[in-house]
Amino acid sequence: MTKSNQIFPSAKDEGIKERISERTVNILIYLTLTILVFIYILPGLGVIMTSVKLDSEIAREGLWTFPKQIHWDNYREIWTEAHVDVYMRNSFLVTIPAVALSITLGVLLGYVFSKLPFRGSEALFVFVLAGLFFPPQIVLIPLFRFYNAIGVYDTLWPMIITHVAFGVSICTLIMRNFFASIPMAIREAAIVDGANEWQVLTRVILPVSLPALAVLATLQFTWIWNDFLYPIIFTQSDDMRTIMVGLITMKGQYSVAYGAQGAMAIVASIPTLMIFVFFQRYFIRGLTLGAVKG
Amino acid sequence: MARERRKWIILLSILPLTIYTIIVIIPLLSSFFYSFTNWNGFNPEYKFVGFSNYLKVFQDRYFELAIKNTLIWMVAAFVLPVVTGLAIALVLHERIRFANFYKSLFFLPICLSLAVIGQVWIWIYQPDWGLINTVLRSVGLEQLAIAWLANKNTALYSVIVAWSWQQVGLAMVIFLAGLTSIPEELTEAAQIDGASYWQSLRYVIIPLLSPATTVVIALSIINSLKSFDVVYMMTGGGPFHSSDTLAMFMFNESFKKYFMGYGSAIAVVLFLIAMVIIAFYFRQVRQLEQLYD
Repeated sequence: MTKSNQIFPSAKDEGIKERISERTVNILIYLTLTILVFIYILPGLGVIMTSVKLDSEIAREGLWTFPKQIHWDNYREIWTEAHVDVYMRNSFLVTIPAVALSITLGVLLGYVFSKLPFRGSEALFVFVLAGLFFPPQIVLIPLFRFYNAIGVYDTLWPMIITHVAFGVSICTLIMRNFFASIPMAIREAAIVDGANEWQVLTRVILPVSLPALAVLATLQFTWIWNDFLYPIIFTQSDDMRTIMVGLITMKGQYSVAYGAQGAMAIVASIPTLMIFVFFQRYFIRGLTLGAVKG
Repeated sequence: MARERRKWIILLSILPLTIYTIIVIIPLLSSFFYSFTNWNGFNPEYKFVGFSNYLKVFQDRYFELAIKNTLIWMVAAFVLPVVTGLAIALVLHERIRFANFYKSLFFLPICLSLAVIGQVWIWIYQPDWGLINTVLRSVGLEQLAIAWLANKNTALYSVIVAWSWQQVGLAMVIFLAGLTSIPEELTEAAQIDGASYWQSLRYVIIPLLSPATTVVIALSIINSLKSFDVVYMMTGGGPFHSSDTLAMFMFNESFKKYFMGYGSAIAVVLFLIAMVIIAFYFRQVRQLEQLYD
């Protein structure tokens, strides 16, 4: 005991004093938690309440009051007048192919880096990871020029292509690390049995990689769905807007149509909220694994 | 065998590497190229102007302001999300009631777009009927109820708070993952040895958390340099450039004013700053790890 007292010299508190201070600390903790819960619930509650109020009620009482009666007019309005159907379709048309392609590329490259190392492959891996670290704004100007030159400006292609290319870094990182946990002997046994690398990858390795694929799918979906930087640079017509750009332009165009903005914000968030509810476990793993992505 | 292996390496990696090189690496290099021109984004013709864009960058007081704001952002990103995230993780790790509910609630904003979060926080900061000012007026602090986003002293900080609201959950889950990997025997042993909570935190938990801390800090530095979405949504860098971050400033110069050459020079400076900070940070981390090994 003497030794431990040297490590923690001031630890000889009396029992009662300790119990009182423990209680105060507990009260403080629960108080802080309650305040935090309010800070995290209120914004969401505000949007939901606003989305079911009529503009006249908002104009009278502001946003932060409970609605007297629930009206679905805002939801109807954004669907018929603000082209939310078009925006949502565009978002899905960008997000789903971009998620699938970026993961496919990450699987291919991750397999090479983990199971087929060669001279210089470590350096090449660092080169591929570089994409995680710099702000994407840096390449916007050359990309803007490039997409104009090949004639795809103001289509959905630039968003898909850019998300796929920038996704290569994170997908390769996560797939390589996952494949590295699968013993090399499994590949070698399959090769001895006469399989080629493609067969090893698709028939032996991929079937056991579902958790990693799920992690990447949730992460990439959320990230690509929520992005609005690429669409504001690479598109300009209303037909090509994604839902997030629709939300931003709505803020500019009808800046007092709060009810419609609230409804649009909720509709825009439903797909990622679904992912959060059903795949939270994979999503959290993805964020902790590939945390640098943000 | 070796030839077969080489064939497969090339076959499997050619597509990902080509796309990555064309869309990420070559544009990165051409940003360097455009930074020496006066290209305006539309005109196919442009002239080489040597280093004049760079000279302009370092004389531009708005650039200086953007650097200052980005640094403020970095410090705030450390204080708010990292420290708050750690505190929440420590509390939730102590088998508290409803821990999973709290965890999900604080984590939820991560799945929302900053377009959505920015919009909600505009409503919170709104001067006339916004949440903050309504509360301030109702408790008689009328004089504190200002136009948060339109005031050049508060705009930057208001945006940072909204951004931190989202980021806390991310730091929290990473710290929680780190905490669960600490063997309970170690903290119990410290308690048996008579350590107070603060002592076991200081001498046992925090040192063992350092891998998680590394990730969280690296993340907050990189995200600070990338900070754009929420600024774009809430203030666009204004009023009077007071909430400009480097990425926002570069965006406005390039895509609002169409000074693509000048914008490229800012992008190059931003890239170099990012590389220096990241290289420096990882060197520190490696030294630390060697120290612990």
